Amino acid sequence: MSKFLVSIGNSALNRSNCSQQKFSFIFYGHELDKMVSLDTYTTILTAKTAAHLLRRATFGPTQSEIASFTGLTASQAVQQLITNANYSPPPPVDLDSDQPTAGQTYLDKPFSHDRNFDFGHYLRCWWLGLMTTQSTPPSLLDKLSLFWQNHFVTTREIVGDYRFLNQYLLLLRNNALGDFRTVVTQISKEPAMLRYLNGNENVVGHPNENYARELQELFTVGAFDFAGNKNYSEDDVKAAARVLTGWEYTNYEEDDSTSFTTIFTDEKHDSTDKTFSAHYNNTIISGRATSLPGTTSAGDAELADLVTMLLNHPHTPRFICRKLYRWYVNPTITQTIEDEIIGPLAQLFLASNYAIQPVIVKLLTSQLFFDETNSGAIVKSPAELAIGTMRFFNQPVPDITTEYAAFKIYFDFVYYRMQDMQLAILDQSSVFGYEAYYQTGYSKIWINTTTIGFRYDYTDAYVLRYLQVKPDYLMGIDVLAWATNLQPNFSDVAGTPAISCVDVLNGFTVNLFVFDLLQSQQDFLIDTIMMQDLPRTSWLFQWNAYRTNPMDGGASYEVRSRLENLMKYMLRMAEYQIF
Amino acid sequence: MKRRDFLAATSASVLPIMLDGFGLKAMSHQSALVQSLLNTSALASDRILIIIYLNGGNDGLNTVIPLDQYSLYNGLRSNIAIPQNAVLGLDGNPATGLHPAMTGMRDLYNDGKLSIIHSVSYPNPDQSHYRATDIWMTAVDSNQISSSGWAGRYLENRFPGYPTGYPNDQMEDPLAIQIGYLTSTALLGSQQSMGIALSDPDSFYQLVGSTSTTSPNDLPCCDAGELIAFIRKQQALSVGYSSEIKQAADAGQNLATYPASGQNSLADQLKIVARLIHGGLKTKIYFVSLGGFDTHSGQVDSGDVTAGSHAALLGKLSTAVTTFQQDLKLQGTEDKVVGMTFSEFGRRANSNDSKGTDHGIAAPMFVFGSNLKHRTIGQNPDLANLTGQAGNKDVNMQIDFRRVYTDILNDWFGAQHTTTSSLLFHEFPTVSLFSDTVETVATGNWKDPNVWTVGRVPFANEYVKVNAGHTLTIDKTVSVKNIRLEGKLLFTGPYSIQMTG
Repeated sequence: MSKFLVSIGNSALNRSNCSQQKFSFIFYGHELDKMVSLDTYTTILTAKTAAHLLRRATFGPTQSEIASFTGLTASQAVQQLITNANYSPPPPVDLDSDQPTAGQTYLDKPFSHDRNFDFGHYLRCWWLGLMTTQSTPPSLLDKLSLFWQNHFVTTREIVGDYRFLNQYLLLLRNNALGDFRTVVTQISKEPAMLRYLNGNENVVGHPNENYARELQELFTVGAFDFAGNKNYSEDDVKAAARVLTGWEYTNYEEDDSTSFTTIFTDEKHDSTDKTFSAHYNNTIISGRATSLPGTTSAGDAELADLVTMLLNHPHTPRFICRKLYRWYVNPTITQTIEDEIIGPLAQLFLASNYAIQPVIVKLLTSQLFFDETNSGAIVKSPAELAIGTMRFFNQPVPDITTEYAAFKIYFDFVYYRMQDMQLAILDQSSVFGYEAYYQTGYSKIWINTTTIGFRYDYTDAYVLRYLQVKPDYLMGIDVLAWATNLQPNFSDVAGTPAISCVDVLNGFTVNLFVFDLLQSQQDFLIDTIMMQDLPRTSWLFQWNAYRTNPMDGGASYEVRSRLENLMKYMLRMAEYQIF
Repeated sequence: MKRRDFLAATSASVLPIMLDGFGLKAMSHQSALVQSLLNTSALASDRILIIIYLNGGNDGLNTVIPLDQYSLYNGLRSNIAIPQNAVLGLDGNPATGLHPAMTGMRDLYNDGKLSIIHSVSYPNPDQSHYRATDIWMTAVDSNQISSSGWAGRYLENRFPGYPTGYPNDQMEDPLAIQIGYLTSTALLGSQQSMGIALSDPDSFYQLVGSTSTTSPNDLPCCDAGELIAFIRKQQALSVGYSSEIKQAADAGQNLATYPASGQNSLADQLKIVARLIHGGLKTKIYFVSLGGFDTHSGQVDSGDVTAGSHAALLGKLSTAVTTFQQDLKLQGTEDKVVGMTFSEFGRRANSNDSKGTDHGIAAPMFVFGSNLKHRTIGQNPDLANLTGQAGNKDVNMQIDFRRVYTDILNDWFGAQHTTTSSLLFHEFPTVSLFSDTVETVATGNWKDPNVWTVGRVPFANEYVKVNAGHTLTIDKTVSVKNIRLEGKLLFTGPYSIQMTG
């Protein structure tokens, strides 16, 4: 059985699987001549490559976004995705129509314990709204913000206070492309994080190690390097906890309080020197006993030293870059990818003094990113499925301020369906984040016998159309309207031939899947799913009958049910689950 | 480390651990576990294993309390220590007590249906949740990595040609099912999307439907092709098992009274399990979990140390396990089922200032069922001799968790001993979980707990076997029920062994 085992310290501890071996084999065999690299992809974007970029950098494109990105260079496109970011969206509002404050902002009001759950939920809905909205040009900001939120996890359920959660989310969103050092520093004393990982209870003489451990294991250096060597020791956890003693927050869930803040108390801080292991070059962080009057300077000075030490650890930039690669490119990291891609990317991260934007630009404009072997290499998360489908089928987002009731219906649907599919926004089940981003199997984890059912149920809703968002807005796809759009001169039955089954299929599948369907699949979809073994010519008669008399219930039922079957089936297909 | 990877079932070279995923997850006919269990006495005997994962690292010292060292215990954690008079006493075991929230499990212990296995861990323990969980799931040494889970490895040994020739007709039902994440569904107050309860096997059937149209097998290259193949397989599976699960759910009934739905997520999960067992589902392993054990802070209430988050968790565990056991008894399925709990690590012996405990090392495991032969394996941790520095003391290992796995594979599922040893990468001595005979594992003094399979000196009412090659030194008179001598005894004086049986 020894082949199942490798010792840590050998080169084979990567959270990988046998398919990785296969991949790297293909990689070499297939790509030997044009070694895929981080060099800039200079080919003008086609609809296919533009769609690839938009699927990965956002939660999924609309048809018009694909069209507008077609013809750009990758660099231009990514630049647009960056500059399109809206850093001052309208704030969340009370979405409960039964409340006198419906439609009004609440973050500027005194804290209300009674509304704590609601307001936390509306914050989630607000963020989902930013991810979904089609009215602004596409930006990569919220997809990247979700990456950071899933990296520096705190949750609504445990943090509780919606104001804490909001401030934390804004920290990550506003700095998503900014300075990693700033984020690590700020998050370490952010009230939501102090709450989530018990930093507020970490005091001299009685350290609480929770945050100190995750800061190293999950937020910066990572538990192991790629070769499986430990990146720090248990004593380093204890030492870091001592560095971080003394921080607290104020006014947690305090009814009627109008503000909250982070405080630092010299007396609660361990002011002795902290010595770290050889993993950190035996760094000694000298204890600071006294803050300048009215400041948190002692705590800040030690925190700055700690962050510097963590960011000087040679594996920190690699750890972050590996995670970004898995998020944007491919969950599988071979030794070759580690050496040829992660290494240089980490160097860039370091050289740019931990600025995030250059790394994102490099990755998303690279030849590697656009290489065919990376197409469809990730299973859509519930976010990419749920939000992506809303966007692809142009389900407009109601205005949060003026149409708050409709906005709530829309995003209650999205939120709870995503939760069923195991991605509850701002409510990860643990500090590790969603399992599909760290656990063996990676994005495949999204799929199992149960979530398959929930995924079907979600996309079926677009065809079954039962969600009334507002009186004149039924969520879903009007398949008859789609097909009608494909038909030239719809009413001219005698003079203009009916669109064929193939025309319908081609029309319905534009940019729908990552790959063009194979001929055998097209035939299957038409003959088995759409026509249910009737000859294709029957479609022409049925469609013309409908064209002749669109008001005839029988004629419209006949064609509509065929189109619905087709659409329902395609959205259930495995091919629709990857991106 | 493809341990939670369902797809691994399609690969001959890597085997999955069976037990993870979301919601109600049916394991494939082709999964390693299913295959591993075919043709074994496990299948023949209808034996079932329930694995309960206590997610986050359970605080063992406030779960099983060493009453014989109460003042040391109190000294280590005075801000969270359970008052001596509140600890639940155990029949015939005055040294040890249970947390006051665990009345149900106390009763099970007194009925001989609960084994406490003290101070379970492994050498060189890890304190990262992720890595420690991995070690437990894959059953490896802490400096080793396995690409597979402990149960899944069974197959490669028995069926080296797999998957060729599988599945076959020997088993129609999913062999392992995980039920999980019910709390996340239950805690929501909104009416939206609440129509489908994951906990309801009937809705599982409605969700995935009863028939599927298979689409052509054409696959694109590379990772995308692999993913599509994987998803299609899951699609087929979900349909394939939904009717079996529905049938069992329709036929099965809960005969005990469980807590109201949504009150106790573990009870909710076990209630489904019991219903499926009663309905005749032949599934061999059920995996359920209860989260929230990472109690760094506030594990007891400020006003009442017997209340608080840890008490609530232990209360849920105790109620869920006890109700489940009662249900099985009423169903008449009790003898077919054994359950075990595990958590990735115990917690520090010292509490922290936040009325919580940081990550530690060893902690007790519980095994429950009507087939257990010993109520206590190992003994209370020696609180006077803990490892670590003052203020940061840890509970040492007595029992390697793989010894428990060994007994489950050998004695519950009927695997060959040599097979089990290779599956667990080493040979581990039994802890006599399912055997009423306490055996020697080494030469030594009778009084040395480490000489015995059960990690303690045999009781007067236990059978004892001195194995060949072992010599036991006896320096006082001892009592046992009966003794079988294949090794040697060395009396240092006028002492004897008295038989009570």
